Amino acid sequence: MLEVRDLQTGYGRIKILDGVNVSVAGGSIVTVLGGNGTGKSTLLKALSGLIPVWDGEILFDGESIANLRPDRIVNRGLIQVTQGKEAYPAMTVEENLMVGAFTRSDKQGIRRDLDKVYDYFPALQERRRQLSGTLSGGEVQMLVIGRGLMANPRMLMLDEPSAALAPQVVLNIFANVYRISQSGVTILLVEQNVRMALLLAGYGYIIRDGRVLIEGPAEELSGDESVKLSYLGGTVASREQMSS
Amino acid sequence: MEALLGFLIFGVTIGVVYGIVALGISLIYTGLDIVHFAHGEIYMFGAFLGLVFAHQYNVPYWLAILCAMIVTGLLGIVIERVFYRRLTRAGGGYTVAGMGMIICGFGMSVVLQNIAFLIWGADAEPFPVNFGMPYQIGEIFLPKSYVATAVAALVLMGGLHVFLKKTKIGLAVRAVAQNKDIAFLMGINVPLMISLIFGVACAIAAAAGVLIGPMQSVQVEMGYLMLMKAFAAAVVGGFGSLPGAILGGLLVGIFENLGAAYISGSHKDIYAFLLLILVLMFRPQGLFGVEAKVKA
Amino acid sequence: MKMFSRGLVSTALIAGVLVVHTSAVAGTIRIGATMRMISENGQKYGQMVADEFDLINKNGGINGNTIELSLLNDECKSDKGVANANKFIHEQKVHLIIGSTCSSVSLPIVDVTAQARVPQIIPHSTNAKITQKGSAWVFRVPVSGRYYAGVNAKYTGENIGTKIAYICAADAASQNDCDAMQDQMRRQFNAEPAYVAQVQEKEVDFRTHMLKIKSANVDGIMIAALAETMSRALLQSYEAGIGKSVRRIGSSSASNAPVPKIAGDAVLGVFYTAAYAAADKRPIAQLFNQMVRDKYGIHAPDHDFSQAYDLVRIVEIALHRANLNLSDGSLAADRTAIRDAIASVDGYRGLASGPISFCAAPTPQCRDGNKTPVLIHYTKGGEEFETEVLARVPMPINFGLE
Repeated sequence: MLEVRDLQTGYGRIKILDGVNVSVAGGSIVTVLGGNGTGKSTLLKALSGLIPVWDGEILFDGESIANLRPDRIVNRGLIQVTQGKEAYPAMTVEENLMVGAFTRSDKQGIRRDLDKVYDYFPALQERRRQLSGTLSGGEVQMLVIGRGLMANPRMLMLDEPSAALAPQVVLNIFANVYRISQSGVTILLVEQNVRMALLLAGYGYIIRDGRVLIEGPAEELSGDESVKLSYLGGTVASREQMSS
Repeated sequence: MEALLGFLIFGVTIGVVYGIVALGISLIYTGLDIVHFAHGEIYMFGAFLGLVFAHQYNVPYWLAILCAMIVTGLLGIVIERVFYRRLTRAGGGYTVAGMGMIICGFGMSVVLQNIAFLIWGADAEPFPVNFGMPYQIGEIFLPKSYVATAVAALVLMGGLHVFLKKTKIGLAVRAVAQNKDIAFLMGINVPLMISLIFGVACAIAAAAGVLIGPMQSVQVEMGYLMLMKAFAAAVVGGFGSLPGAILGGLLVGIFENLGAAYISGSHKDIYAFLLLILVLMFRPQGLFGVEAKVKA
Repeated sequence: MKMFSRGLVSTALIAGVLVVHTSAVAGTIRIGATMRMISENGQKYGQMVADEFDLINKNGGINGNTIELSLLNDECKSDKGVANANKFIHEQKVHLIIGSTCSSVSLPIVDVTAQARVPQIIPHSTNAKITQKGSAWVFRVPVSGRYYAGVNAKYTGENIGTKIAYICAADAASQNDCDAMQDQMRRQFNAEPAYVAQVQEKEVDFRTHMLKIKSANVDGIMIAALAETMSRALLQSYEAGIGKSVRRIGSSSASNAPVPKIAGDAVLGVFYTAAYAAADKRPIAQLFNQMVRDKYGIHAPDHDFSQAYDLVRIVEIALHRANLNLSDGSLAADRTAIRDAIASVDGYRGLASGPISFCAAPTPQCRDGNKTPVLIHYTKGGEEFETEVLARVPMPINFGLE
């Protein structure tokens, strides 16, 4: 469904991604792992069209979406869910959700999806008239995922949904991500929480210094010593030294 | 007592006009992240256009307000598309490009003033509108033009409120104002919304210009003082807050009239800034200050 | 209202120097003129001055010499006026400077011309101080503000009352008019002002003042301000509910055409002193009105026009009398000769309300040419306004100087 080939991009003159290859099959859950500053968020921004692609190709359903304007990419059904802190604090919960449905005009479909979101996250329904600035961290994360769902996505890209949340909240959110995936939405999950992400995903990529370091099926990666090491710091060379 | 009421009426009628202009400045600030220093000239253009419609094409006053709003709004959109957009980074961001944007605003103000000067000359133009005799309540005269100004201002504020709170486009405008990156990610055509915000802000400034025309006549230089007062109003109310802008306008209008009446009538313009300093001393974020915007 | 139409002509005028007829005959008399040419009126009387000198050249010039006029706009700003004067004196080496039309600009130029020893003749600036600096090089065609105030005060005190409120704008001419009127009311009637409001030069909102004036129950309101500011104050005095029975007294700018145009009916009954009235019944005045109406589209010329016209005639007379060499070495001598020739003009009778006379001493008595202000009031507002002469008052030559 999504093919990223030799992607190069960055900010200003600073190159962040230097030839990244990622592939996501329809209906699957794929995770991209990496520590802070490895380029995970940059990858999502390039996919969403927020920053220009310098070189390489991004194919969605076989068509190039590199350097399209963000709203055009959204119209094709590829939706990014930003990190939890990025709701609209001065809008109510329901207004936040309705922003997600901006591109749609099918009133009944919007109504149905709103019910669906409230079904996934009943806490949101209780607080639908509150300003989202008053929500807890976990509720805001639910809200931004719900907002993404309101766009009627075919593929959802989640940016660290577990960040700064308590374990049982993370569990609740991941369970719902699984439910969303079961409903036919393809998921690209960018995470730092390796253990949880590899439990959920079928396939994983680990990026470091702007390149894919290791990739493979989730169960293989969870057993890989180097996966843990890539979070502990150190270079490829030092990893080889340590393993020898 | 009657005198006090009179001063209050004057304060409110000029205050709502400050408030409308401040509303536009706040709207642009939230939407484009720029402090628009040419807004006084937009207001002046609106006043002249209203005059052209009312006296050259003989349309009724209320329709002249509407026509001036539409034309000035379109003018604003052109200015934003052609000039400001190049300075505010495309795509995510639209952050303040440092001093460049501020200087560009000043430059635009000079350019607009000179264009107006070439078209309409430096003379003040009268803007006579026959509203008939003023209402008289006891000893107090209440010119109908004041009532019209207050009503028009209320309609504008109400209209803007409904637009922002009840319509889908209004929701998108608020989304863009609060966080452009997320708005983009939700499929909103952010550049279009920004043009719309700018256009609406210019249109309401034009309405203010036409409303003040009969009271103060219309002149190329009229924008500067209004800009200063509207800025004071916007900051007093809390920069970026729309209800704050209106409240700030009313406060500035009332404060300067009462100051002129009971403290000293000379140099009346000081009071607006005195109020500004007082508010900033005790509430730096302004009366309706919104929390710092989340920037991507 | 002629929107859109006058842009191009006026820009050409504003943009720069307008040179009239440069063909080299026997010699060239260089004149520099700096005036306020930003309003429609200003552009038109600037044009009129240029046209009148052009006409003199076409009729054979002055004793065979040609006049070369350099006309600059000072926008009524003193720094621009002084820069213009310096340009005239040091770059263009002019023999005579005309200007300015604003007191605030004429005042600093008086120092410049006195130092450079260049004659300066002023078409329209009323501030009394201009001729009180003791410069031997300055001449004033219009009536000095010191006379205006005396006449205004006399009429006010005798016919209206002595309880007067004052609104005084911050520009030099209005301040002067306002102070002088208060001073004269004290001297002539022992009357203190009932209310004084100092406002900005371009104030737009007078309503608070008007409400306070209303509750002070005054006999009259003196509004001393430039034309546009005055018009707004007049309009807002009615908005605040001050009735017609309270007379409005204008400063010298009340004669400017924008006042009746902007103020409309609010201008009715406003009276002021001036040096010329379009309502003047003399044939010369009627002919002049007709000429200005036909040629420049001005409905009724105010004293800015009449004084500019009188000034050209006085300069013409003086230049005919002056013995000029017009060689490179004779510049200083020629300047002195022109000064002395203007000082010798005595009893010129033109459009002005009274005869214009100068003399040699560097005193206000000698250098304030016109000593006969005329009292005028408006009988109709709008663009097609009408005025009536209330009185013509010759003043003692020393008035306002003690």
